Amino acid sequence: MAAVIEIKNVTRTYKLGDEVLNALDGVTCVVQSGEFVAITGPSGSGKSTLANIIGGLDRPTDGSVVVDGQDLSHVRDRQLSDYRNKHIGFVFQSFNLQGNQTAMENVMLPLVFARMKPRDRKARAKECLEAVGLGDRLKHKPSQLSGGQRQRVAIARALAVKPSIILADEPTGNLDSARGEEIMKLLKALNKQGITLIVITHDVSIARQADRTIQIKDGKIGRG
Amino acid sequence: MRFADYITIALRNILRQKLRSGLTIFAVVIGATSITIMLAAVFSLKGFMTSQFEANGTFQQVAVSQQSDITWDDHNRGGNCQDCTKLSDDLATKIGTTPHVVGVARQTYIGQFQALQYGNQKLRIEQMVAYDANDIIKTQILAGRDISVSDTTGVLTISSDYADKLGFKGKYDQLIGKDVSLQTQGWYTGVGSDPLQAFKDQQAWFSSHPGADGRDYQPAPTVLTGKIVGITDANSEHTRVRVPLTWAHGMMENQTAQITQADQDAAQAKCRTSRVPNCSTQPVPSSVSVSDELAKQGYSSFIVKVDESSNAAAVAKNIRNTYKVGAADAESEIKSQLAIFNILGLVLGGIGGIALVVAAVGVVNTMIMSILERTREIGVMRAVGARRRTVSLLFTFEAALLGFFGGVLGLGVGYGAVLIANPIINKQLSTNNITSSNIITLPIWLILGVVGLTTVIGILAGLYPARRAAKQDPVEALHYE
Repeated sequence: MAAVIEIKNVTRTYKLGDEVLNALDGVTCVVQSGEFVAITGPSGSGKSTLANIIGGLDRPTDGSVVVDGQDLSHVRDRQLSDYRNKHIGFVFQSFNLQGNQTAMENVMLPLVFARMKPRDRKARAKECLEAVGLGDRLKHKPSQLSGGQRQRVAIARALAVKPSIILADEPTGNLDSARGEEIMKLLKALNKQGITLIVITHDVSIARQADRTIQIKDGKIGRG
Repeated sequence: MRFADYITIALRNILRQKLRSGLTIFAVVIGATSITIMLAAVFSLKGFMTSQFEANGTFQQVAVSQQSDITWDDHNRGGNCQDCTKLSDDLATKIGTTPHVVGVARQTYIGQFQALQYGNQKLRIEQMVAYDANDIIKTQILAGRDISVSDTTGVLTISSDYADKLGFKGKYDQLIGKDVSLQTQGWYTGVGSDPLQAFKDQQAWFSSHPGADGRDYQPAPTVLTGKIVGITDANSEHTRVRVPLTWAHGMMENQTAQITQADQDAAQAKCRTSRVPNCSTQPVPSSVSVSDELAKQGYSSFIVKVDESSNAAAVAKNIRNTYKVGAADAESEIKSQLAIFNILGLVLGGIGGIALVVAAVGVVNTMIMSILERTREIGVMRAVGARRRTVSLLFTFEAALLGFFGGVLGLGVGYGAVLIANPIINKQLSTNNITSSNIITLPIWLILGVVGLTTVIGILAGLYPARRAAKQDPVEALHYE
C-alpha cells in the first residue's frame, strides 16, 4: 500500500512574546492510504497542530509534509486551499456548521469553492446527506437538528468533495456516548470504503478502534 | 468560485443583517440622492441656459462699442467717450463688409424720457432703446408684432412687465393699437419740442422772477404719443420701451432757438419806435436750428452678426484691431457666466461627495463588524477550500453591493425628486412666459456615474475589511468564540 502522508522532522514553533513554544518538535510519521489512525495525547501536546498541518490549515516551521506526492511545506495559499478543498474532509468537535443555512447549503459549501455547477452541487449534497442518513433533513437548519444529526451534516460536508483523507478533531467530544458511537460507526464505514481516516482524540475507547495510534506528548511522538 | 456564487453569497450575507445593512445603504442613498439631484439640476439648468443663448443667436454675435475694453456684458450700457472712435453709420457699413459678418444692428439708448402714461397710469421708463429692425437683435414677441423696417415714428413696443403693471397680464392683445404718452424731461430738445415757445416761457419766467437763480427754472416737459404695436417678453428685456431708429434720431435731436440778424434788428427797431425808457433790446428768436445728435455722437453700440458662432471671436478681434473700437463676442463671456454653474456643480457635488465619504465610513464599519461576527464562518470557508483571494473577493462583493444598492436607490429617490421638481419649474417658467418642458433630466452619464461611483466607493470601503478577513489565520478563526 502506497504511503499517502509522509511527515519528516516536522517542527512547528509559536512565538508568544519572548517565549518560543515548540508545538511540534521533530515529528516523523507515515500514514498509509486507507488507514484509520488515531492521534492521541494530552491537551496541549501538539496533536491538533499535527492534524492542522496534515490538513493544510497550518504550515510547519521546519521539516516536510508530503501528501499524495504533493509537498505542502512550501506551497502558496492558493495550492494549499485547493489541497484542502480536494483532498481533505474536516470534521470538528463543535461541528462548525453555518447556522443560517440549511443542511444542503452547508454540504454544498466546499463544492462552491470547487466551482461545481449548481445543479451538480445539489445532487452531490443530497447524495452525501443520504449517505449519512439525513435524506429527510435536507432543508433543516442546524438549530432544527440534534447534536448527532449536526455532526452527520458535518460529515456529509466533509464527504462532498470525495476527499482521500477525513480529519476528525474530537468528532464525538460534544456528543453523548450513544450518538458518539453512531458517529464513529459512520466514520469507520467511510474508512472501509477506502478513505484514510485520522481521528484526533483523547478518548481511549475511540483510539482503541483505530488500526494504529500515534501518541504525542510535548510535541514529540511517543510509543503508540 | 463562480461569479454568480459571489453575488449570491454576498447578497445572502447582506440580507442576514437587514437592519444594519439597511442603515448602511441608507447613508449611501443620502449621498447618492444629493449628488444626483444637485448635478442633475446644475447641468440641466446650464444646458437650458446654453440652449436659450443658442436659440436667440447670442453666440453668433459680436458687440461693438466705443470703449476699447468692452466686454459683452457691458454692451447694454453703451456710453460715449471723447477720444473714442465714433460708432457712425459709416463705420456700421464698413464693419458690415468685414469677412464672416452677416449684418450689423445699430443700437442706441434714449435717456430723455421719464415716464410712460396709459390712461391715467404713469410708469417710470427704465430703459428706452432703438435698434435696427434687421432681426439681428432678437426679441421675443408675446403679442402684436415687433418693430419693423417700415416703421418710422409714432410706434413702440413695451416689455410685458409694463403691460402687467398696466393691468393687462394675460390679455396683452388688448393693449395692441393703444396709444401711450411718453413724457420727457424738461430740457428735452428733440422732436416734438418747441424751442421758440420754450424761449418765450423762459423769458416770461425770468421777468416774473426778477433776480431769481436761473437754475431754479424748470421748463415744461414734452409729451410724445406712440402707438403700442407689440409686447415683448420681459424675460429677455425687462422694463424696456423700444422705438424705431428713425424716431430715435428725432428724439435725440438738438433743436435750438436761433437768433438771427433779422431778429436783433427787429428788437432794436421795436425799441426805437416805443417810448418806453430802458427798453429791452433782447431779440426774440424766430427760427430753429436742428442738429442730429445721434449722427454726431454715434450709436451706443453695434451688434454684429457673424456667419458661424465659431468665427465670433476672430471677427471681434478683427474689428477691434481694424477700427480701434471695443468688440467682444458673447461666447467667452457667456462661458464665464456658465462657469458659475460648473463651480456650483462642484460645490454641490462636493457636499454630496462628503455625504458619500461618511457613507463609506459606514460601509467600512459595517464590514468590519460583519467580519468579526463571521470569523468562525471564515475559518470554515478556509477549511473547506476557500482561498484567501476568494474570501477577500467575497467581502469586497458584499461592500460593493452595499454601495451599488445605495446608488440605485439614491437614483430612484433623485428621479422622484426630479419628477416632482419639473412640473413646478415648468409652471414657474410659464408664468414668466418661457415655454419649457421638463428642464431637469437625468442624463445616462449621471445615472451610470452615480451607480458606478457608489459601487466604487463600496469597493474601496471594503478593501481593508476584506483584506483583514482574508489574512485571518484559519486555525485561529475556527476556534474563535
